[in-house]
Amino acid sequence: MVSSAWKQEAELKLQNIAKDFGLPISVELYTSIAVLLITLFIFVIVARFAFKKRKSDTILLTGLSGSGKTALFYQLRDGTIHKGSVTSMEANVDRFILHSDSIKQGRTKPVRMVDFPGHMKLRAKLDEFLIQAGGIIFLVDAADFMPNVRSVAEYLYDILSKALIVKYKIPVLIVANKMDKVTAHSIDFIRKQLEKEIDKLCVTRTGISDADMTSEVLIRKEGEPFKFTHCLNKVTVTEASVTTAQLADVYQFIREQIGS
Amino acid sequence: MLEQLLIFTRGGLILWTYKELANALRGSPIDALIRSCLLEDRSALTSFQYDAPGCSYTLKWSFHNDLGLVFVAVYRKILHLLYVDELLEKVKSEFSPLFNPSKADYPDFDDTFRQLLLEAEARAEELRQANQAKSFNADGARRNASGDKRGSKSSSGLLQDGAKGDEDGGKNSKKEYISRSVESAPHHANGSTSPFNGNGSAHAGDPKVSLSSGSDEENGSTKVTEVAFNVDKLKKLKSKGGKKGASKAPLPAKDDKANKKVKVNRVWDDAPNKKLDYSNPSSNDAKETPIGDQGKSLMDAEDDDDSDLEMEEDIEVNNSKEKEIPKKKGWFSSLIQSVAGKAIIEEDDLAPALKSLRERLLVKNVAQEITDELSSSVATSLVGKKMASLTRISTTVLKAMEEALTRILTPKRSIDILRDVHTAKEQGRPYVVVFCGVNGVGKSTNLAKVAYWLMQHNVSVMMAACDTFRSGAVEQLRTHANRLQISLFQRGYEKDPAFVAKEAIREATLSKIDVVLVDTAGRMQDNEPLMRALAKLVHINNPDLVLFVGEALVGNDGVDQLMKFNQKLIDLSTSSIPRRIDGILLTKFDTVDDKVGAALSMVYKSGAPIMFLGCGQTYTDLKKLNVKSIIKSLLS
Repeated sequence: MVSSAWKQEAELKLQNIAKDFGLPISVELYTSIAVLLITLFIFVIVARFAFKKRKSDTILLTGLSGSGKTALFYQLRDGTIHKGSVTSMEANVDRFILHSDSIKQGRTKPVRMVDFPGHMKLRAKLDEFLIQAGGIIFLVDAADFMPNVRSVAEYLYDILSKALIVKYKIPVLIVANKMDKVTAHSIDFIRKQLEKEIDKLCVTRTGISDADMTSEVLIRKEGEPFKFTHCLNKVTVTEASVTTAQLADVYQFIREQIGS
Repeated sequence: MLEQLLIFTRGGLILWTYKELANALRGSPIDALIRSCLLEDRSALTSFQYDAPGCSYTLKWSFHNDLGLVFVAVYRKILHLLYVDELLEKVKSEFSPLFNPSKADYPDFDDTFRQLLLEAEARAEELRQANQAKSFNADGARRNASGDKRGSKSSSGLLQDGAKGDEDGGKNSKKEYISRSVESAPHHANGSTSPFNGNGSAHAGDPKVSLSSGSDEENGSTKVTEVAFNVDKLKKLKSKGGKKGASKAPLPAKDDKANKKVKVNRVWDDAPNKKLDYSNPSSNDAKETPIGDQGKSLMDAEDDDDSDLEMEEDIEVNNSKEKEIPKKKGWFSSLIQSVAGKAIIEEDDLAPALKSLRERLLVKNVAQEITDELSSSVATSLVGKKMASLTRISTTVLKAMEEALTRILTPKRSIDILRDVHTAKEQGRPYVVVFCGVNGVGKSTNLAKVAYWLMQHNVSVMMAACDTFRSGAVEQLRTHANRLQISLFQRGYEKDPAFVAKEAIREATLSKIDVVLVDTAGRMQDNEPLMRALAKLVHINNPDLVLFVGEALVGNDGVDQLMKFNQKLIDLSTSSIPRRIDGILLTKFDTVDDKVGAALSMVYKSGAPIMFLGCGQTYTDLKKLNVKSIIKSLLS
């Protein structure tokens, strides 16, 4: 009884308001408008999330097995490579403040670091981490470079030609590691060799069927040999030595990505 | 002797190695183990052999799945160390409580490990003695004497080690445990006479490493350590004139694990009485000898002469005891557990889920032995893991299996034939592919398809008709060659195929042709003369790629075919570096619907990748293997 009286009253009031605005009188109409507004609101929120500008503090460490990814991971986190490492079977994932930053006082942002294993058999999982990445560090073993140059180039090509990387312009830092060794090649040599190999790959990498090609993008400019500068995203080649902690460019790259 | 023992995370960080075994390993056996064994889902095996130039190692390993730790022991292949499995398990159970994800340095574990190693070695020694004792059953006196001698020898060895460890411990104590040692100083006022002084003071206040500390037996410290207990026991044994009987002294809760394994020594009517008394009564220091005789007496081997067998049985008994403890729970508690996600996966829990998965794989035409190996490998990777909340065991198993299958089917190296063709072209020689396989699998048909695909990528192709055996084989190829407008090299029938191929390659080099596709006669894998001919062809021409052509229709036999082809190529090869099958071409793939098991069987057994899939009758019906879709049909 009470509720019906209340309802009547409410309807009366609504009618009055409607009259003021000169609108047709119907509760259903207002409900539908309300529902519409709520749906629009939700849609806007969802759209915001979906089309938000990509901003990620995740740095992905990749490279072939034995190029020093796990060592770099712990060098960045703890400032030491501990007792060394063996071939990784799983990714190391951690969010931390860079060791060099944690010593000096001041406002520093943590970085989420993913050390992805280099073994071929685990490569299938790379896509999961590529989605999260805000920046990619690709490690190359400068001392043991020439025997592996083809597989390095293939891996690098796979990453650079991913539609995702090109679309979001994820920066890639190619680090020639183990520069402390006497047998290490110079970074100019490494860059030239990699560009040459990737150039060949651009020609031959046309699969048997085109089914798998949807996620890959052609990264080469027509009629020119491939150069890293042709990539839409920023690709830089630099040198470092993880064991002796000469990592200035790596630190610089990470700080740029996390914006601190 | 143990060469090396490593503890590392699945992420690859070495947490602890046994420093005193600092002799560097030759080659990199650990990386080889991970790359060729653990990542290929062959972890169901028990050991791994690694041959470095100069010496070969045997590796054994153990996982802690929940913490993501791997324990690997390396020893010389020629030594059959029986205690390694047991030692690994012990190390695992001792190390796990110490593990802290943010810590990467465990110097404290050195002492614990030294203790464990000594115990394990002592037990192995006991075992050997027990067996010898049995074999010399009639001759009591001789046995007794030899036993004593060996005992004293081992005890002196232990003492040396103990003293070494003592120095280390002392260093530690100065750095880290100053306050502790000050506190506990009154407890060993007479500590200077005890060689374990430094060690004891280092850990007296630290319950976690209580196992390793040993001192205080005279002043009756509140800390009753395992070693102290042993020493007590030894003293008792001595005082009773070598009479046997293990005393069950009350142990602190931390030592429960060790306590469980203490077993009453069997009294034999004719057993040597002083067998377990390794201490030399004439030496004072013997009191502190940390002989771990708290383990089970391995003299139970009454009917068994074979020490290997006996050891295994003992371990099994041990395991089964541990397994029995957690039994069936009510549905309510299991519900709570599934929500809370705390349940640790036991082997028994996995059995039903694995069984249904195995059946599913068998229905999909996967070979029997491969299903078994795979499921046990998946089981080893899951036992001991904590289940995520709100998941069922079957989903967990399915996910693990899916990951394992992805790993198996993903090729080890990239397969880019066009890239290889270009490399060969730069070197000014043709790229040679040999097709081999049993009769009627579609070698010639798929050779034509490959030729068509290569031509589409502007590569010049030549076919070599090396099937000089079956009537009409050359004509069949000629038909394909005419239709595709490519050159055919043939020398008719009744010629040696190896030389036909050789001439074809020479011809191709002269006329600057990029690829030579060599068609061979079909042969059954058990036909020795024909297999020898194939090995000869491969050896003489040294092709860039040996493709095995197999039917997707076969089940168990496909594996047999592939393995025998591979083996025969190795066995019958005359060169020192034998060739194997480099890749697989799976034909008639369109006829099997979702029964794609042959693909998995062949890849798992040979390790060679599937390079092409033949899936129809026309030239265009050649596909790349899509790992995801294969796995989907395997597990659907």
